[in-house]
Amino acid sequence: MVVLPGDEVPQDALPTPTGKKKHLTLGPGLRHIPPNTVATTIAGALVTDNKKAAAWIESNSGRYLATAGDLVIATVEKSAAEAFSCTITPHTPPASLPHLAFEGATKKTRPQLSPNSLVYARIASATKDFAPELTCVDPSTGKSEGLGPIKGGMVFKISLGMARRLLAGSKGGVAVLQFLGEKMGFEITVGRNGVLVVDGGSVKATLAIGRAVQEVDEQALGEKAQRKLAERVLKNV
Amino acid sequence: MAPEAVLSHLNRADGSATYTHNGYCIIGAVNGPIEVLRRDEIPEEATVEVNVRPAVGVGSPKERHLETLLHNTLRSIILTRSIPRTLVQITLQVRSLPDEESSTGVSTSLTLLPHLLHTALLALLSALIPLSTTVTAVLIALHSTKDSKAPAQLVSPTANELLRAKPIRSVHVFAFSGEGKMLLNESDGAFSYEEWDEAAESAEEVCCKKDGGVGLGEGMEVDGREGQNLEDWLRNVVRTKVAYEQRWKSAK
Repeated sequence: MVVLPGDEVPQDALPTPTGKKKHLTLGPGLRHIPPNTVATTIAGALVTDNKKAAAWIESNSGRYLATAGDLVIATVEKSAAEAFSCTITPHTPPASLPHLAFEGATKKTRPQLSPNSLVYARIASATKDFAPELTCVDPSTGKSEGLGPIKGGMVFKISLGMARRLLAGSKGGVAVLQFLGEKMGFEITVGRNGVLVVDGGSVKATLAIGRAVQEVDEQALGEKAQRKLAERVLKNV
Repeated sequence: MAPEAVLSHLNRADGSATYTHNGYCIIGAVNGPIEVLRRDEIPEEATVEVNVRPAVGVGSPKERHLETLLHNTLRSIILTRSIPRTLVQITLQVRSLPDEESSTGVSTSLTLLPHLLHTALLALLSALIPLSTTVTAVLIALHSTKDSKAPAQLVSPTANELLRAKPIRSVHVFAFSGEGKMLLNESDGAFSYEEWDEAAESAEEVCCKKDGGVGLGEGMEVDGREGQNLEDWLRNVVRTKVAYEQRWKSAK
C-alpha cells in the first residue's frame, strides 16, 4: 500500500497484537495521534509484520537516522575526556563512545583508537534531543559479541535499503556474496548507516567484492544476474 | 498536461527532485536533518532554510521574497518538533523558464511560485523529512472577455495562454494541504472579493482530492486537456518511486 505523508492508516491495515505482545509497535514513518489515529509522516510503502505486531514505512532514500539498538560502523574523530567522539553520518553531531564500553576495559587499560579508525558498535541510546551514544559491549553480559575496532579492510558506501537487506540474511536476496564465498575467502562488516567494510586479503579481491555489492545495489540485480556477476568477478580475480 | 517529476537522482543530496511543467524546469535538493549553526539553532524545533536560485543572474529581493513565502508554507507542514536542533536545507535552482514569460505582463514571482512549491515538496518527500501532510498549489489568472462583464478564469495557464489573454486583471496563487486547508494565498492585481472567492473555489477543486473532484481541464477555458487532480498526480509520482526502489524484489 503506497502512502503519502498525512494519510491515516485504517485500523484493518494494521496487525492486531495477539499473544504475548499486547501492544502494536510503530516503526519509522508512522506516528500515533491519540486516541486512535495512526498517521504517516513519509512517502513509501506500508509494511506490516504480524508476528512482531509491528508496522512501518519502507523507503530507500534520505539519510540514516540514529535509532537505539542498531548496529553501525562509526569513524573515530578524536578522544575526549571519558569517551571517543565518533561520526555515524556526515554533517551531524558526533556520537560518544565511552572508553569503558569495551570488553575487558578498566580505568587503567583503555583501548587505543586513533583518529579515522573504524569501530563496529551498537547504538545504546538515541533520542531526538541528545547526540547518540554508542557501546561496543552487550550491557547485560559485558561481552563484546563481535563489536569493537575493525582491523583492515576497505570502506564502501551502500544505500540504506541495501544495508538492511544484507543484515536481513536470506530474506534480503543478496546472493552474490554466497556465490563469491564458494571460491573466495573474505570478511565483511555491515553497518545500518550504509557503510560496508570488506577485507578480501588482497587489494584486487577487496575491490572486486566491494564493487560487486555496490553494483547489485545500484542495478537492483536479481539472483540470475547476481550469479553472472559473481562468475565475472571470479574470472578476473 | 500533467507535470513531470524525477526523484532522488542527485547522489550527493539526501533528497532531490527535478520538476518540469509548462516550460518551467526546476531542480530541488534537500539536505537534512543535518547539523545547524549555533546561532540559527531552535531548541525544540528544526530550522528550515530555503534558497531560491534564479535561472539567470544572481539572487535579488525577488528571490528573497519567494524564499520567505516558501519558508512559511513549508514550515507549517514539516514536523519540526520531531527533529529539534537540526537543519533542513532546501535549495531550488530554476533551470529554465518559458520563452514568453517576460512579455505576459504578469508578476513573474507569482507564476513561478506554484512550481517552486511542488519541487520543494517532491524533494522533501525524496529526503524522507517527516511531514504532517502534503501541499499542492495552482495559479489562477482572471482576465476580461468581450462578452461578459465578469472576468473569465484561466486555471494553471501556460505563458502562451497568458500572453494571448492580455491584459490580465489579476493573478492568484493558492496552496492547499492534503487535508484541504488553505496554506498560501498570494494575489496581484485588481479584483473584487467575489472574484477572489470563485478563484479560491476553482483552486481547491484542482488541488484537493474530493469525491468527484474537477480536473485541471474540466469546465475551464482551456479546451482539449486531460483533467487530472494534483493530489492524484502526487500519488502517482510516489507510486513510481516506490516501484523503482522495490524493483529488486521482482528482478531476475
